Amino acid sequence: MLHPPYAILACDVFSDELIELGGDPPPWRALEFLEMGLHDQPDKLRQKIQQSIHDLESDREVQAIVLAYGRCGNGLVGIRAQRCPLILPQAHDCISILLGGREAHDAQLKKTPGTYFYSPGWVRGKRVPGPDREAYLREFYAERYADDEDMIDELVEVDRDAFEHHNCAAYVSIVDRPATADYCKDCAKHMQWEHTTLKGDPSFLQDLLNGNWQPTRFLTVEPGQCVAADVEGNLVAID
Amino acid sequence: MSTLEDLKTAVINGKRKDVKVIVPELLESGVEPTSLLQDALIPAMAIVGERFKNNEVFVPEMLVSARAMKQAMAIIEPKLLEAGISPEYTAIIGTVEGDLHDIGKNLVATMWKGTGFDVIDLGVNVPAAKFLEAIDEYKPQIVGLSTLLTTTMPAMKETVAAIRNAGHSKVMILIGGAPITQSYADEIGADGFSKDAGSAVDIAKTTLGIA
Repeated sequence: MLHPPYAILACDVFSDELIELGGDPPPWRALEFLEMGLHDQPDKLRQKIQQSIHDLESDREVQAIVLAYGRCGNGLVGIRAQRCPLILPQAHDCISILLGGREAHDAQLKKTPGTYFYSPGWVRGKRVPGPDREAYLREFYAERYADDEDMIDELVEVDRDAFEHHNCAAYVSIVDRPATADYCKDCAKHMQWEHTTLKGDPSFLQDLLNGNWQPTRFLTVEPGQCVAADVEGNLVAID
Repeated sequence: MSTLEDLKTAVINGKRKDVKVIVPELLESGVEPTSLLQDALIPAMAIVGERFKNNEVFVPEMLVSARAMKQAMAIIEPKLLEAGISPEYTAIIGTVEGDLHDIGKNLVATMWKGTGFDVIDLGVNVPAAKFLEAIDEYKPQIVGLSTLLTTTMPAMKETVAAIRNAGHSKVMILIGGAPITQSYADEIGADGFSKDAGSAVDIAKTTLGIA
């Protein structure tokens, strides 16, 4: 498919899938990743995305900027570009994208509302619920609360509480990563959850990479327009 | 001797163990249980909420403060009962069907309790029918619906419609959650929307006309 020379700005959670599906040579002119997990701090996510869009636009060859992001805590609402159109997937989150759309995501949550989704990116980030999360958190919080063991214990406990209603670890597989798939099984065992593997559907990411930006799946935000969310939670472009 | 200010600081900093010591001390020294709520716990959580909005603390720290507040409430509630102070208003709350994320819902429940409401927490993944049963049973003035996911927003709309269709026109429905906006509240016929747990107290009071 013909598409303008574009840059991708992606959450690092997609790096395995994007690099593998992109092939060699890749279809993008530039690819930039931002750290995963920023959906927890939507203002920071918005700020970083806006800054990266600004930087990517400074390459005059780039004619469009594709964002590999979902709703991500509304962290994309408010962003705009000056020169390039922005292309955004219409998806709740990265899991919807990896499953090829909302239907498969909804179906799994309907079947098992207590599903926690794993993917190669999330496993790489070391923050998924499982055998290593507590150590990760203790290290993370030690930076802020070094002299306060009680506080660190409390923070670890509230984190544990956050998963008490979950009962299923679902591994979403698009690229073949046997070690990561096994790690997800370990996580399920550690959390005493059931485990399932969901075959991912690469079509969403393929469309994104190939320039097949159909309005049913992708929002195009023209230069100068701003990203907003409508009442149903879909992303829209406003002047 | 501990002061109300000490209690406030302990809750802000999430010091559950300190709270356990300070609250009985204050009660013994003759401080009214309602004063502990009004002059320490609620202002403490308001400050935590403010810090959260300013990105100075994050959700986990806010939850640790809420645990400290809960600790205090567990000691204060029996004293309120002894003093014959019973809640004037009842609220039921839950996350809508399909949504298991209860961090926000729990924070709001704690804040409403702290404000003096009797809060019936229906938990997570609550079908509309269960909300209707609870409305019949507890006759609340307020129903709180929460959702974190955009995928479960339709369940919120259906629950509001089910409550209205069942003829409960007087019960105030308040909604909240990351993807929720005032325009969505207007669209689905909810009476109010809260952006965060701190504002949930104000919106509840305003809706009830007691602000």
